[in-house]
Amino acid sequence: MIQELIKRPLSLLGLIIVGIFVFLALFGSNIAPYGYDDFMRDDNGRVMKRAEPSADHLLGTDKDGRDVFSRVLWGARDIMLLPGIATFFSVIFGTALGMTIGYFGGWIDELISRLFDSLLSIPALVLALVMLGLLGASPFGLVLVVVVLYIPIIARVIRSATLNIRSKGYIEIAKLRGESTFYILTREIFPSILPALTVEAALRFSYAIFLVTSLGFLGLGVQPPSPDWGRMVEEARGEVLRAPWALWSPAAAIAILVIGVNLLADGLRRIFRYEGTMR
Amino acid sequence: MTIHKKVPFLLMLLLWVLAFSGVVSAQGGGGVLRVGMNAPINLDPATGSNDPEILFNRTMYDYLIEVGADGSLVANLATSWEVGEDGLTYRFPLTEGVLFHDGSDFTSADVVYTFNRLKELGSPAVSLMGEFEVSADGDYAVVFTLPAPNADFIFGVASRHALILSEGDTTPGDLEDGVNGTGPFILSEYSPSERAVFVRNENYWIEGQPVLDGVEFIFIDDALTQIDALRSGAVDFIFKVDVDQVFTLESDANIAVLSVPTNQHPVIRIRSDEGSLGEDVRIRQAFKLATNRYELLDTVQEGLGIVGNNDPIGPKYADFFIPQDQAYDAAAACALILEATGEERLSTDFYVVNSFNYESLAVALQQQWALGCIDVNILLREEGIYYADTEWLEVDLGITGWGDRPVPQGYFVEAYVTGGPYNETHFSDPEVDALVEQAATASNLADRAAIYGQISAIFAERGSIIIPWFASVIGATYSNVEGLRMHPFPGQTDFRTVRVNQ
Repeated sequence: MIQELIKRPLSLLGLIIVGIFVFLALFGSNIAPYGYDDFMRDDNGRVMKRAEPSADHLLGTDKDGRDVFSRVLWGARDIMLLPGIATFFSVIFGTALGMTIGYFGGWIDELISRLFDSLLSIPALVLALVMLGLLGASPFGLVLVVVVLYIPIIARVIRSATLNIRSKGYIEIAKLRGESTFYILTREIFPSILPALTVEAALRFSYAIFLVTSLGFLGLGVQPPSPDWGRMVEEARGEVLRAPWALWSPAAAIAILVIGVNLLADGLRRIFRYEGTMR
Repeated sequence: MTIHKKVPFLLMLLLWVLAFSGVVSAQGGGGVLRVGMNAPINLDPATGSNDPEILFNRTMYDYLIEVGADGSLVANLATSWEVGEDGLTYRFPLTEGVLFHDGSDFTSADVVYTFNRLKELGSPAVSLMGEFEVSADGDYAVVFTLPAPNADFIFGVASRHALILSEGDTTPGDLEDGVNGTGPFILSEYSPSERAVFVRNENYWIEGQPVLDGVEFIFIDDALTQIDALRSGAVDFIFKVDVDQVFTLESDANIAVLSVPTNQHPVIRIRSDEGSLGEDVRIRQAFKLATNRYELLDTVQEGLGIVGNNDPIGPKYADFFIPQDQAYDAAAACALILEATGEERLSTDFYVVNSFNYESLAVALQQQWALGCIDVNILLREEGIYYADTEWLEVDLGITGWGDRPVPQGYFVEAYVTGGPYNETHFSDPEVDALVEQAATASNLADRAAIYGQISAIFAERGSIIIPWFASVIGATYSNVEGLRMHPFPGQTDFRTVRVNQ
């Protein structure tokens, strides 16, 4: 799969971008020249607010005097970790649910599918705002919100893929062999829906990044002085005239990461010849 | 004259009629002032306390007397006031011919009802007035009787809460019952969290006022969005501008920045009753020692203000304010933490409202306090919810914004005496209670200065607040607004003589 991705220039670019951000998530805090909440001071001990980009501060400092480059690097961890964990759990639960209702069908399928339809009819951000209002703003709350929002989407895709496969001949043969339902689901159906799942997971991850940063921007994610990129954009949005670097740097980081993940997802879709849903 | 010849004449006549009606309209109309502000939550004039709540009601009701933008007392529905020689009676003759919005007459019964209601509800206005009885002296005068002289009583009568209601109006905050004030504007439309529209009171009792045709409040909770709305011309006046944004506004030729010296200040408050974070005085001292106020003023406030002491008396009260040197000693703070708790470090939650530059202040404090062995977990709160849910009165550690008061006594009776309605630190010190009571009766300036000096010393030693700075209140208007003089407490800004050039 990697080799096929490398053959496509855009997919390769996506792979490289995502690779770099994974690296930054793992080692960004070690590479960062300063702590994410350290105030930069000049020789006289004065806090350097809104310092322009320089050799000492590659992306300048923000209105509170913190090094923007360091904060972007530190923030890579959260931006990969929170959407990553949320996507992981969404995929686990969504796949289990989607395979189950797709395989058994009947009234359970009808009931759960209608429930999902009604959930999906509510805009994701609105639902997230309501849920975070109830849960309170915290990293745990963020992950839970994304999981709840994405389970129906993933389950619906997996249900659809399972429906296509369950009537195939090899599934009937497995049933005639007397294999258990668990065996059929995990050994016969799951490998067949893996391409769809991989593409869906990549897509969900990119949307989760957007959602988490959007909620951070709205002040519903992590608390200050966290280097969450959404929060950084929110903190710097009044600084367009005085310290634009504090605004553009995290905004550019979000854009590059999302583009990278989308290019990668697009490459996977082409490799698997899969037409997934977009939301 | 043939029809053909009559046409130009008729057209000319029509043009004259139109032009004349336009002139008439222009003479009477001062346009509509659109104000961008946070949504008010508590709409009862007696208990609503923040700027949007006061401004909302101030538009529809009148005061008996009020504190003007320059800090002086101004007669309003009262024509004047007379103080008895013993200082125990205050008589207010009332303006005659004033009508409520429903057409009923304004009389002394309405004033008596309003002030008795303030007492019944325990309104913050009463904190400053102390004990009193109010009675009608005929239809157009009221008399307040005090058991003991109170130098600040008159400021209590002029309190921002003391808007005059119609007698028997038990639910003025319930807009579904209609609002019945004597004020310059009448509420015509209200959508909670969206907007409120007011039209001019054509029967207003001051000749030629209000100048405006109407006022519209557009509720925008986000301060930066308020600024964007002003710059785009969507609103004409805002009054909640962070110092960080002054540069942006000053660079816009269409905007006039208003800066009014006030006693507005953020309070870093440590709850100090039994079982709370600051129960031990050493903890309060540690916070003070770990706070470098000069650096906070220089960095967070960009130098725009004056470093405060450990009490709410600021430079506005020049007769009482004596700047003290605020020691910063992180090592001493660590030693006090160890002594008081037996632990090397202290950890706690730190509640901060998302208004002004308080988030930046909290982040800077977090850094400073970490050096003083105090670790805080910042919890940002939506301003309206934080205050409306009374969470601010319960938490151990937080930052609260306090607006201007005409006299320092207002802060003490509201927040720093035992049982004060806004005593957020739950501070209770019999010595302070007694001194505040003494200050109320001290009419001599020197005596009062001496009392406040003692209170200030107690607050420095064992008080539970830190004032990082006192600063001007900043607002801004669009260039088409004329005659708007922002009040030190912006919610009390008077719109009666304002004009908006359309």
